[in-house]
Formats: sequence, structure tokens, C-alpha cells
Amino acid sequence: MGSAELLQYVVAGFKSGAIYALVALGFTLVYGSTGIINFAQGEFFMLGGVLSVFYYRLGLPLLLAALAGVVTTAGVGLAFERLALRPRRDAGALVLIIITIGGSMVMKSLTRHIFGPDEATLPEFTPGPSIAFGGVAIERQALWLWGLTIVAVLALTWLYRKTRFGRAMRACSLSHDAARLMGIDTARVVMVSFGLAAALGALAGLAVTPLTQTAWDVGATAGMKGFAAAILGGLGNPVASVIGGLVLGLLESLSVAFLSSTYKDAIALIVLLIVLFLRPQGLIGRARREKV
Amino acid sequence: MKRTRVILVLLTIVALLWALGCAGKPGEDESSLPEASAEPYRIGVVISLSGTYAGLGGPEQKAIDMEVARINAEGGVNGHPIEIVYEDDATDAAKAQAAVVRLIDEVGVIAVLGASGTGQTMAMRADIERAGVPQISMAGGSAVTAQLSEWVFQTPWPNRIVVPFVLKAMAADGYKNIAVISDTGGYGVDGHDVIVKSAADAGVTIVADETYNPGDADMTAQLTKMRGANPDAVLVWAAGKEAATIAKNARQLNMTQPIYGGSGIARLEFISGAGEAAEGVKLGTGKILVPEAYGEGTEEYEVATSFIDRYTEEYGEAPDIFAGHAYDAFGLVVDALGRVEGEATPAALRDAIEATDGWIGVGGTFSYSAEDHNGLTEDDLVMYVIEGGTWKLAE
Repeated sequence: MGSAELLQYVVAGFKSGAIYALVALGFTLVYGSTGIINFAQGEFFMLGGVLSVFYYRLGLPLLLAALAGVVTTAGVGLAFERLALRPRRDAGALVLIIITIGGSMVMKSLTRHIFGPDEATLPEFTPGPSIAFGGVAIERQALWLWGLTIVAVLALTWLYRKTRFGRAMRACSLSHDAARLMGIDTARVVMVSFGLAAALGALAGLAVTPLTQTAWDVGATAGMKGFAAAILGGLGNPVASVIGGLVLGLLESLSVAFLSSTYKDAIALIVLLIVLFLRPQGLIGRARREKV
Repeated sequence: MKRTRVILVLLTIVALLWALGCAGKPGEDESSLPEASAEPYRIGVVISLSGTYAGLGGPEQKAIDMEVARINAEGGVNGHPIEIVYEDDATDAAKAQAAVVRLIDEVGVIAVLGASGTGQTMAMRADIERAGVPQISMAGGSAVTAQLSEWVFQTPWPNRIVVPFVLKAMAADGYKNIAVISDTGGYGVDGHDVIVKSAADAGVTIVADETYNPGDADMTAQLTKMRGANPDAVLVWAAGKEAATIAKNARQLNMTQPIYGGSGIARLEFISGAGEAAEGVKLGTGKILVPEAYGEGTEEYEVATSFIDRYTEEYGEAPDIFAGHAYDAFGLVVDALGRVEGEATPAALRDAIEATDGWIGVGGTFSYSAEDHNGLTEDDLVMYVIEGGTWKLAE
């Protein structure tokens, strides 16, 4: 295998990896402020694509359609938190997680009923042939995915580190009660983080649509891969989630190159389980010590 | 710490199972009640109106609805109106099996049409054989009629007919070394088996053989590997939106090899999804996409265009191949019912269906026999090339 070919596998891996990373960021955001896994994250990914296509078909220009798709999905995220999760917020993490699974089923079924079962697509953001780089072909849409991933992770890191709201989110992740005692409106923090996670998922979903098309049923796979990426990297840390996504994409791509495409998902998952046993906090994540 | 680890592992496993199983919905049924004069003939239909194959079940239901209304308006069959009882299997084999039990034991149907998918069709077999009710499946899997059952018939062109047809077309076009990519769903696995078995006879050599999972977002890695094997042409055996991604990925990798496919990509969504990358893609399937393929002025042409025109007028869109499969399944039962002498029992109906000889549908001309419950041949297929965003007959 030539070095150009090997590099092509790496590029392919990072392309899927960027998708996983963007979904993983949504998991991380919600986990960061609530301590729960939001299994509806994949459906936000799906909604972003499907709603953007809907707006685009109404005649909006691509940029506006994308924006409208993201905003509507963020609205769905906010409403989902307010209507489905907040009423049971004292019920414990497991109940909340199960509610998110139920919510994902509802979103999925409703989408199928409203928008129909057939797949649909968006035009590429910057159409044109792939860019040749040292014998490697790089898709223009892949550059968009990488750009979005970088912007998203920088923005989230800034939010966490430098803003009042980010500090409030981190406080919530440590202890809701303590945060509330410190005067933080924890309910608002949780709701906003759901809105942000939904917007991020939607962004990923619509950026992928020109490559893969979208439909009511794309959320489950995206959610599973994004979840795996978030766990692999380490939940709660944006940079770790992105690294988790890229590593997962690379693992799959190299499995195809050196082993078998039939078992690429299984191989990626076995690696994930090994990581979980050796480093439950993820590749990058820092172990959370529970002090007594 | 221990607890966190256990919970994360459990969640991973739950997520896996959840992704594999996906969400389903309970079956829905509705009955179209005709103004009965004589006792109606009840026919059960099990199709996928939700789940992965929802895109198949929709057109199938439309075609059957339209034909039932027409037959009943003409006075039914032998003076009996036809009553259809629908069951949605939600693209789930277990639900298909439950649905057929209900249709046989509670509704008491004389025939079952469906299912949309091969897995669902096969799941119904034990109960079909137990009760002795004829079944006409609209699924294209080879297994449906290759594993012959006295009671089960099939309307689509199965892979065991389409695959050799496409492989021979590739060889005739001068492409001897082919790279194959197929999905790990029922259609791809079934097709892959036939590709491997019939490649030598068709005169082609498989130089690369890759798979992908339904839902995958990018097939660049597989295509890079295929490109490395230096094939003359690429054969995509896939049903679903990933086929469009493959065509696009190949174009972006600057692969110049022509792409071939089968019935699985004979959908408008493939063309709109792949965009420019769909141009020049060749596929082998039935003649419904371009009715001229039937030969203008022939009876086949009249039957097909009549169906296409009525469907288009009724629903504002042209029927796809799945609507055609449903039209054929229903039409075969109606034709057989008309030939039953005496009481129309399921057993008598089965014998009449098996005696079908030269019935003209949109999928082709059906002639069933005790050994052949598919009834179609390669003569009912044609090669298309995608040009200007639509199908054209290939030379």
C-alpha cells in the first residue's frame, strides 16, 4: 500500500470522525450540565437535516434554510427539556435517560408522519470536484465538516472556560444543589444546554446531508456513533469528544484497509469496550473523584 | 468509580441493541368495506408502512387500493366483491408473523399478499403452511422462491435472475474485472451470494469485494480499497440511500470506472441523492421505468401504460417498481380467483395461482409451475442508463 493510499484512508476516517465528533459534542454538552446521557441526540442530528431540507424546498436560500433548520431544532431541544424532562427532574438519572429514549422515538415517528419516509438531500455548500492534495482526494464538504468541528470545539471550550454561563454549567455538573445554593438558575442552565446540544446536532446533521442524504431514520446510527465517540474520548470534555470521534472514524477506516469492511463496526466497538474497561473516564477524560 | 464503569458499559450495550432494533410502532389495520352483494372475498395484505421499508409499503398500498376500487366498481370477481385487510409489519419480522396469524386465524383470509421485505416474508412461512393459505410476496429476495414452498409465490424479479442479467451486461460491455460493494442488509447479502456464485458463468472476475452497513455515512475507505484492485467497473448491490453516497464518494475519489447496479437503485431518490454522480450509472431491472421497453403496441405495453396512467392520475406521481409488484400480486390473485370453479377455498385458489400461464402484469409475463413460483425470466428485464437525471434504455 502506497503512502498516498494510506493517507486516503486517514482522510476518509477523519471525515466520518468529524461527523461522530459533532454528534459527540452534543452528548458532552448535556452530560456536562446534567450528568445524564441524552439518547435523543441522534434525533437532533436527524431533525437538522430533515428540517433544513424542508426549508430549502420552501424556497429559502441554502444558508437561511440551514439557519432555520438549526433554530427550529434548537427550539425542539428546549421544548423537549421543558416539557418532558423538567417535570421529572428529581426522579434520578436513570428515569431521565429513559425519558430521552422515549423522546427520540416520538421525534422519529412524528418526523416520518410529517415529512414522509423517503430520503432527501441538500446541495453541497461549495459544489465542485474534490481537491487533490499529494495524491489524496479531499471532498469539499469534508473541509466544511472539519471547519465546523473546529469552530464548535473552540466555541464550546471558550464557553466553558471564559463565560459566566459556562461556569454555571460546570457548577451544575458537579452538584445541582450546591449550584442552586450559589444562586445559579440550574433549570435555565439545563434547558439552555439542551438547546445548544440540539443546535449542534442539527448543524452536524445538515452538514452531512449533502454527502449522505437524510431521512427520518438516520438518527439512531448517528446517535450510537456519536455516543461511542463521546465515551471513547471522555464525556463532559469537548476536546476529548472530538478526539474520540476522530479516533473512532480512523479505527473504522483502517479496519476496512487492513482487515475487513464487514467487521469494521465490531472492531471499533471492541476497541471501545477495551477502553471502557481500562480507562472508564475515556482516553482524555479525567477521572471524577467522588469525595466523601 | 466502579458504578460509573458498570453504568457506561451497560449504556453502551443498550445503545447497541437500540440501534439494531430501532423503534417500531404497533400495527394498524384498516378495512375497505365494499357494498357487498355476495359474501366478499377477504384478502390480507402485510406490508411495511413504517420502519425501514416504509418507502416500499406506501406505493404498494396505493396500487392495491386503486385496483380494489376498480375491480369492485366492475362488480367484483364472480359476483363477489373483494375486501382487503391491511396489516403494517413495521419492517419487523416478528410483527409480520403476528400479523399473518391474525389474518389467518381471526379474519379468515383466502390469500395473503406481502410482505414488502424478504425477512418479513420468510417469517410468515410457518403459519402460511400450517393454515394452507396462498401467499404472494412482493419481496425480491431469492430465498422467497428458491426455498420453494407449495404455498408461496413471488412477483418481483429475484436476485437470482437480476444478478446474472447485470453481470452478463457488464461482460458484454467489455468489463471483465469487477469490484463489488454490497450492503449487509437482506437485499445486499442475498445479492452478494448470487454475485459470487454466478460471476464465473457470466464471464467476469471479482477483484474486490467490500460491504457496508445500512446507515453508514461514508464509503470512501471501501472505495479506496476497491480502487487499489484496479477494476474495470464497479457493481453496487444495495437498497437504500447509501447507494447514492457510494456513487458520490467514487466520483470524489476521481474513480472513472462505470458503476452498475440492480433493482435496489431503481428509485428516483437514488438519482436525486447522487446528483451528477448518478449520470452514466447503469442498472438492470424490470421494464416499468421506461414503458417503451415493453415494445409499443404489444399487450404488455398496453397493460403497463394503463396502470401507469391510472396511478399517475390518481396520485399525481408515477408508480415505482414497488407499486408494480403490488399491482402484479393483487392482479395474479384476482386472475386466479376468476378461474376457480366452485367454492373459492384457499387450497383451490393456490392451485389456480400455480396454474397461471402467461398472465401479463407490469413486472413481466408470469407463468407459474409446480417448480417455479416466481414465474419471470431474464426476458422481463432490461438495462437502463441514467442520463440527464432520468432513466434511459441502455444500448
